[in-house]
Amino acid sequence: MFEKLIDNSMAKSPWIFHINAGSCNGCDIELVSVLTPRHDAERLGFKLTGTPRQADIVVVSGPITVQTRDRLVRTLAQVPEPRVVVSLGSCPRSGNVFKGSYAIDGPLEKYTHVDVSVGGCTPKPEAIMAALAQAAQILAEKRKEMHK
Amino acid sequence: MNELLLNLFYVLVFPGLLFCILMGILLAGLDRVWVARMQRRVGPPLLQPWYDFLKCCGKETIVPRHAKKAVYFAAPVIGFVALMTISLFLPVVKGRAAFSGTADLVVILYLLTLVSVCMMVGASATGSPFAGVGLSREMVAMISYELPFVLVILAVSRATLSYDAGTGMPLTFSLQAIMEYQEANGPLITQWSLIPAAIAMLFVIPCEVGMHPFDVSEAETEICEGTLAEYSGPPLAVYKLTHMVKMYIMTALFCVLFLGGLTTGILFFDVVIFILVCALLTFITMSLPHAVCARFKTEQVFKFYWTVVAGLAAISLILVWLGL
Amino acid sequence: MENFPILAIMTLFVCAFIVSLVGRRNAVVRNVVVTIAVTVPLVMMLCLIPTVFIDGETIVYWLGNWAPEADWAIGICLEVDALSLFFGLIVTVAVFVSGLYSFTYMNHDDSLVNYYTLFLMLSGSVLGLVLSGDLFNIFVMIEIMTFTAVALTAFRNTYEGALEGAFKYLAVGSLGSTCVLLGVAMLYSQLHTLNLAQVAALLSSQGTNPVTIAAFAFLFIGFGSKAFLFPFQPLAADAHAVAPASISLMISGVLTKCGVYGIIRLVYVLYQNYDQPIVQYLVTGFGAVSMFICVTMAFNQHNFKRLLAFHSISQVGYVITAVGLGSILGVGAGLYHAMNHTIFKGLLFLTAGAVQHQTGSLDLDRLGGLGKRMPKTCLLFLIGAASISGLPPFNGFASKWMIYQAAFLHGVTSGNFYFIFICVVALITSVLTLASFIKVAQSVFFGQLPEEYKDVKEVPLTMRLPMWVLAILCILTGLFPDFIQEKLLTPAVNAVFNVVGYIDTAMGTGYAAASGVTAAGIESIAVTGTWSPTSWLMLLFCITCAVAIVFLLASPDDKQKGIPVFSADETAQPLDAKYEPFFSGEEAVYSQVGGSDLFWGFKHSWRRYFHFMHDWHSGIVNDYALYGAVAIAFVLLFCIVLL
Repeated sequence: MFEKLIDNSMAKSPWIFHINAGSCNGCDIELVSVLTPRHDAERLGFKLTGTPRQADIVVVSGPITVQTRDRLVRTLAQVPEPRVVVSLGSCPRSGNVFKGSYAIDGPLEKYTHVDVSVGGCTPKPEAIMAALAQAAQILAEKRKEMHK
Repeated sequence: MNELLLNLFYVLVFPGLLFCILMGILLAGLDRVWVARMQRRVGPPLLQPWYDFLKCCGKETIVPRHAKKAVYFAAPVIGFVALMTISLFLPVVKGRAAFSGTADLVVILYLLTLVSVCMMVGASATGSPFAGVGLSREMVAMISYELPFVLVILAVSRATLSYDAGTGMPLTFSLQAIMEYQEANGPLITQWSLIPAAIAMLFVIPCEVGMHPFDVSEAETEICEGTLAEYSGPPLAVYKLTHMVKMYIMTALFCVLFLGGLTTGILFFDVVIFILVCALLTFITMSLPHAVCARFKTEQVFKFYWTVVAGLAAISLILVWLGL
Repeated sequence: MENFPILAIMTLFVCAFIVSLVGRRNAVVRNVVVTIAVTVPLVMMLCLIPTVFIDGETIVYWLGNWAPEADWAIGICLEVDALSLFFGLIVTVAVFVSGLYSFTYMNHDDSLVNYYTLFLMLSGSVLGLVLSGDLFNIFVMIEIMTFTAVALTAFRNTYEGALEGAFKYLAVGSLGSTCVLLGVAMLYSQLHTLNLAQVAALLSSQGTNPVTIAAFAFLFIGFGSKAFLFPFQPLAADAHAVAPASISLMISGVLTKCGVYGIIRLVYVLYQNYDQPIVQYLVTGFGAVSMFICVTMAFNQHNFKRLLAFHSISQVGYVITAVGLGSILGVGAGLYHAMNHTIFKGLLFLTAGAVQHQTGSLDLDRLGGLGKRMPKTCLLFLIGAASISGLPPFNGFASKWMIYQAAFLHGVTSGNFYFIFICVVALITSVLTLASFIKVAQSVFFGQLPEEYKDVKEVPLTMRLPMWVLAILCILTGLFPDFIQEKLLTPAVNAVFNVVGYIDTAMGTGYAAASGVTAAGIESIAVTGTWSPTSWLMLLFCITCAVAIVFLLASPDDKQKGIPVFSADETAQPLDAKYEPFFSGEEAVYSQVGGSDLFWGFKHSWRRYFHFMHDWHSGIVNDYALYGAVAIAFVLLFCIVLL
């Protein structure tokens, strides 16, 4: 009986951990704006956490520089199951304008399975909201799959 | 048999486990909604804390390599249960506690300490440096609010000192005596000498609960959730629940100490009024500072509590002592 | 039966000599003799319980059968009333545990014969002190006690600071002994007797004069220095840090209790001036100052045993404060806390000894994470720490709670705000105590394990067993405060207030009435507050069951259907990042937050105070002797002017 309650609340309380993998800070600002009064992601239960141990959704921005690569992989490993990875902006998907640089070791798919991807440089807050909402649904599905 | 069933009802349903959890969720939910509204946001649904709790239950628990596993799992549960027992000693409704002969005010003070200690020991057992910093700050916060809390307790005990009818011995720190005094003489907050103490107690509540301007130990931006840095899954859920229930326990304690003795005579209305007062106190002591203030630094918390708040409580104690 | 007190003392002293005679050849014989020597007095004390505690008799033994002639007590006597027996029990239990612990704990050291000889002499002198009915005898025992304790402090003379600590103890400790001797001499010059009972009677019939008042001051500061009260506390810190743990147990659990016992006898039996406000100010004042200063000093220590040493004085401060209140509840609370302090502080010192035995270090800045390597010691430490911090349902809570009640009630009944202030100090001290034990837990048993202690092993069972004895006592005395009150405290408190009985048993019936000593009304110590640990534990158990059921209902599906509950034991691969502590993404390196890193906000706010205290505890023996002299002068002036 608790199973069902837990499954139902999975999508209603996704906590976000944000990793900046060499981003130019544009996407980060937009992610913050999602939490501001205008868009208010908290009405869907979103909350930023300070540690990957408590995170459900990991949001990665930036083109995965060589410097951040190991740290990114390590942090992703520390997130408990079930978890969803969201790539924010064009950089983690393709490398964007940094593609081909010796300092870049992307894309994000090389290191983890990306569940939701938001394009744009930078993406609009509305798009981020939509992506996060979708990520929450995926989170609930992942949880259901885990005990099936 | 009936006695046993009644006691089980007290422990499990009202005013014990179930009621506490419901009140905790209600107050925590209201707090989040109010803070959101004050920031002109829509805010989460009222049951958001409940969803958070359930979701944490459904996550994997990662015990880090440096952690001491037994303590890692035991600490949150012991803390939660110790907190829960406090609700059985508080004479919230009809001026009677479920188990009134078992504990007095000092015991409640120490049980609240035990809850924080469990959190600190659990954090310490994770072996994370962030948790180390977190527990250090939690302890300083505890030293901070303990002095005014103690002064408030002494002031209230002095004001309501009564004598046992049978033996003629004074009843010190007895919650029952405090309630009976208030039933006879009206709530303590109506006595002007105790108003500073009541204000001090209002300040003690958010720090004891660990609400926003005073949540130095769980600062998510600076020290990665501090004491909770390595907690995930069900133990984290228990911590979150403890946090919610603490909101209820502290507001109820304020009701008992300063707003007791008022009754409509009908149990149902009493409970409803009690819940409303708890909600109001939550708004005043937790939501309002949360929405208005930024987080204090550790030494600011300490300084604030040992000067301003303790000063208020001490004024009250001296006034009460002089018989005013 | 009436020979048991002298036999118990003699067993210890005689065995001390037997050990030095035979123990050099054969370690087994030595250990057997020591075991006998520590067990026999305990059994004898236990045998006295029915007579003294239940029947309420006072046992008097005149050495050499020199009974009083014509109302003059010339011979030396042992007089065991419930108060003496109460302390006798504390002493013998501590000696028993310390002796058993020594066998394994001391196996790294040599010349153990000397150790055991001194140890048994120390035990015998302490037992002799609390059972004695003769003032000069008490002084002799104090001397034996001080010198054996000094020698034992310096026993591990290869340790840095061992000789220094012992020398300070010797120099400043003899200041205290001299005070006792002076006080005894002054009383003898005035009253021409040394028997406690007769001194009490004569002081009551002749009234006090400036000389006896001065004697009071000297005896008070003398006994106070044996309890290491402020300003003698630096000695304890220096001595404890270097002494073997089993001796630290004796110094903190037993020697300080001798000071407490002396002060109780002095104030309640000899002078019977416990109801004078001036005396109450003096005693509670010294208690409260020691309590508070030592706890703040403990806060900043980097050495495990130094920290415990300061706490030891802080807790003795609690005892003295409660005793100084002069109320029945206060004495009861003080005695209860004295007993509990021996139990939990003994336990803590033994865990510190276990850590030292296995790692060779006591440095709070360098240890860490030992909970994983020494889980049983860790559990024992947590029990001791919870007890001393006064967390329910352990024994420290029960007695501290009584102390708060006593202080508050005394404040209310006497209408004096001073005692409320004392109550606040006691409550705050308790929080600070908790803080420093959180610090020890974090910096020794939790946190991260340094590379150099990777292979540390748990201590052997022979060392854990004595610790378990104390841990179980911690729990039992905490869970059944009503039983303790009824069976142990009430007789002891009655004995404290029953001066008439004490005098009459020694000097013959009617002597007290002839001297004008009036019987104080003996009441039961009714504790007015409410706290029943057993029913609380039942509630705790009920709710734990309920919570557990909820979680069990929620979780069995998880396990079958593959929500993994991971653990990170030794089998987890060391490079598996998932189980590494979160380090903001960096590779985890050794980073222990412990020792002096903790409680920054508090230390910063109090930096001036801490700087002052740091300078004040200069470590120079001249300074410490000066502080002692100032204290003597102060108490002397205070008593002579105001009493």
